[in-house]
Order: sequence, then C-alpha cells, then structure tokens
Amino acid sequence: MAGEIVAEMVANVLMVVAVEGATLETGDTVMILESMKMEIPVLTEHPGTLRELRVREGDVVQEGDILAIVG
Amino acid sequence: MTVTKAETKAETSAVGAAAPKPAKLPRELDPRNPVERLGAFFDADSLELISNDDTSGMLAAVGRVNGAPAVAFCSDATVMGGAMGDEGCKVVVHAYERAVRDSVPIVGLWHSGGARLAEGVLSLHAVGQIFHAMTLASGRIPQISVVLGPAAGGAAYGPALTDVVILGPEGRIFVTGPDVVRSVTGEDVDMLRLGGPEPHGRRSGVVHVLADSEAHALHEAGRLVSLLGDQGVLDDSTVEDIDLAGSLPESMRRAYDVHPLVADLLDDDSGLELHGRWAPNITTTLGRLGGRTVGVIANNPLRLGGCLDSLSAEKAARFVRMCDAFGVPLVVIVDVPGYLPGVGQEWDGVVRRGAKLLHAFSEATVPRVTLVTRKAYGGAYIAMNSRSLGATRVFAWPGAEVAVMGAIAAVRILHRRRLAEVPVDVRTSVEAELAVEHERIAGGVERAVDIGVVDEVIEPTKSRSALAGAISAALRTPAIRGQHNNIPL
Repeated sequence: MAGEIVAEMVANVLMVVAVEGATLETGDTVMILESMKMEIPVLTEHPGTLRELRVREGDVVQEGDILAIVG
Repeated sequence: MTVTKAETKAETSAVGAAAPKPAKLPRELDPRNPVERLGAFFDADSLELISNDDTSGMLAAVGRVNGAPAVAFCSDATVMGGAMGDEGCKVVVHAYERAVRDSVPIVGLWHSGGARLAEGVLSLHAVGQIFHAMTLASGRIPQISVVLGPAAGGAAYGPALTDVVILGPEGRIFVTGPDVVRSVTGEDVDMLRLGGPEPHGRRSGVVHVLADSEAHALHEAGRLVSLLGDQGVLDDSTVEDIDLAGSLPESMRRAYDVHPLVADLLDDDSGLELHGRWAPNITTTLGRLGGRTVGVIANNPLRLGGCLDSLSAEKAARFVRMCDAFGVPLVVIVDVPGYLPGVGQEWDGVVRRGAKLLHAFSEATVPRVTLVTRKAYGGAYIAMNSRSLGATRVFAWPGAEVAVMGAIAAVRILHRRRLAEVPVDVRTSVEAELAVEHERIAGGVERAVDIGVVDEVIEPTKSRSALAGAISAALRTPAIRGQHNNIPL
C-alpha cells in the first residue's frame, strides 16, 4: 500500500532515526535494522510526512511487517 | 493449452479488438501510427519499410540506431487494436529472418490485443510461428521489446521471449484482460494493477526497464541496440582511475547502496540497469568500460543486506547468460553475507534457482572478472563468479573477507564449549582473540591469495584500470560468445 514502509526481512530494530511528524525526502533514513550481522538503513521511497512509527528500538520485525507510514 | 485460451479471450477483453470501431483520428494524426513510431525509433531519415503498409496489423522496417543497423517491427494499433492475424505475424517472422540474416539487433514495438479472433486457429498458429522464430533467434541476435500499449495474450508472450523488455507508461502486459478475469474469477482488477509498471517492474520480473514516456522508452531501446549490437573496442588508455570505495561507509557492518559504485566503475553516464526494481538485492547493469560494452553484476547491501536469494540468483543467471550469448564481458562486484536463510526461501526454491546462477557462471565463456570489495561468505562466495566456477581473474580490496562465514560466527561454532566455560564478562574479548586466530588460519584475504582463489589484492583507487586490464587481456577477436540461447529463466 502507498505510504507503508515494510520490512524486507527478519531483523532487529537497531535504531529509529526519524521522529513522527518529520518531513522526509526520498532516500532519507527512517531507521536502521540489524540482520545478517549488518546494519541496514531503511530509506523512504517517496517524500512525505512520517505519520506513524509502528516499531521501537529492540523490536524484532518479520518480513512484511509495517515499520512506518509516510504520507 | 493456456496460450490458446488466453489469446482468444484477450482479444475481446484487452482492447476491444473483436469489435473494431472506426478510428476517430486520421491515421497520420493518431499517436499509435506505427510509421510514426518506427520513424521516432530509428535515426532520422534512415527508415526503410520492409513490409507493405496495409491492414495486416504489423509493419516492419530496417534502419539505423545511433548509426548502427537494426530491424524493427511495430504493431499497428490503428487497425483492430493491433490484433495479430496471419498476415501480420508473417511480417514479424520475415523481420526476424532479415535480422538473423544480417546479424543485427531486432526491436519489437508492441501495442496489440493478441491474436485476431475472427481468424480462429489460423491466427493462433501464426502467433506461434512468431514465438518459434524468436526462440530460434535467441542468443544469436539481440532482441528488444518495447511495450507501448496493452499487450495481451500472444502480444504478452512475444516480448517475454526476448532478451530485454521495456515498458512505456501506457504499456500493460497480461495474459487475460480485466473483463475476462472478472467474468471467470469475479476478481475486480484494472489493467494498471494487472499488468502495469508496478506489477511487472517490481513483482513479476517481466519488465527490465520502466520508461516514463514513449520517447524515453524508444530512447532506451536505442541505447540497448548500441550496447548489445555495437559493443565497441576496449581502450585501456582511456580508463581513468578513481577511488571506487568513495561511496562506501567506513563501518564494514553498515549497508550501503551499490549504485554509485557501479556508476563510478563504468564510463560516464553509460550504465543502463536492467530489472532495477525487481530482486533489488542484486544489480545487473549494461554499460561501457574503456569504451567497450560490459555487463556488471553487483550485490546491493542496501537491500536484504545484499544476500543472494532465489529471485536475485535467477535474475543474475539470466543476465549472465544474455551477456555470454552476445560476447559481453562481465564484471562481478561482490559484497555478499551469504544466502538469505529461512523457510520462505527454501520453499521458494532457492536451491533450484540458486543452481541457475552456478550453472550460468560455470558455462560462461566471455571474460569475467570478479572484485570482492568487503566480504564473500559461504555458498554465496562460490556463486558470485568465484575462481572455482572459472573466473578469468579474481581481485579483492585490502581487508576483504573471503570465508565460509564471518570470523566471530565461525568461532562461536568451532569453540562453542570453550566459550561456554569462560565468564560472561570476558566472553566478548575471548571471542575476538579467537576470531583473530581463526582469520589467520582459515579466513582473510591473504589466505585466499595463498590458496589461489584470489589472484591479487588491489587498491580501490586502482580498480578500474585493473578490471579493464584483466578483461582486455582475455578478449579475443572475434569476441568469444557462449554457444547457447537466452531462455527467459
């Protein structure tokens, strides 16, 4: 769905970088996940406002989980 | 026979080809005018029709693209929505005969509802003959498809049989149109969701290049004709060295987007990425290095950490086979943590699809040079054009890890009991000590050089010239080509 940022793989939420209400440009980092012993930035594909963060640092996310909503 | 049912239904459903209405515009003013489309594709004043300009639904022409000769055919969507009958299909088959005879690329501009219903099985037979001609030409001449409007049934499978598919903004590819889907399954879906840029660019992998206008689509087709049909000569002296590591983060653990590295590796603005949105954890790009066409395969750590998985292996395998068939040398940029683990991947056939990449590299006869930038672990190390699969030359940057797995992960398995016995507060430091020792014995790039799986450690600032030099030394005249077709894996 448009605006939803979805986890591509099982991962730990290492760090949430952006705050709710922030204005984001394409390619901005929303959070950093940890998986396969790597720190993987989650970037926005479209500009918009960060409406909602669905996860917190330390959470374990599954493939397909919604991480944040940008609209 | 899925195709038979599909094409019969598609004609009525996709573009209303079964009930043609008089064109609202004179053909000369109609944006679907095939003569205009072919004229826009070829270099100015180079077009020469090789078919009759009649109501067959297809036109074919020869001409030049960026100076190089090519053959092209185009659906005539002003006649019955571009539906294909016996005569129109023969135009395509003849165009293929001409392109194979002249050994030049062929480009198909598609805008067609599929087979002509009124002609019955005759039209199905004719469409099948196009498929046959395409398959016989596969791997012999580059085949590029540009889908500019709806392409249903046979008009969907035609492009799918070719090497590269470009989708214009109005392009829609599907076996059966929305009306048939609705009547058969009750599913309410429109053409965009069924076969537009999103589903085919990101999900199905049918489309290699998404264009934002018809002119852009034709331009990209022209670039592909040049890259595959006019590959140029590698001139080492023109390859300037720059720091290819400039776009990488300092931390080895931090993921990054590999696209800037690929762009820096290739000559300025020469790269054309295929399947950019599908299986994005690996990138496949045609471009030029020292003026010569090369194919670049690179893990992209930003997506899935750069892991290989079932789709990325299949995507890369098809790219390797296409490049090999047309004599395009390969550069393989490796930064891979392994195969993506999990039940989803196993059930998705990561073993079967991963085997395609092993097969594709192993059979490839073109020069193929590997550069390990940060790490190459486990089975994914083998799959990314390793020495064991026959790599022409393998380079690595200083500090790169070539191993079964990361050193810490390895010592946790190898020294599980010993680590369990040490106090928790010193376990991390003991792990680190063991990891250093493990790297000395089993891992590290020096060990890889010792046993001959890495030929040379090179600096990022010398990599462009090293890669170009290795390819140049392995090139032969005429170019070595794999003696196989390019089945759409």
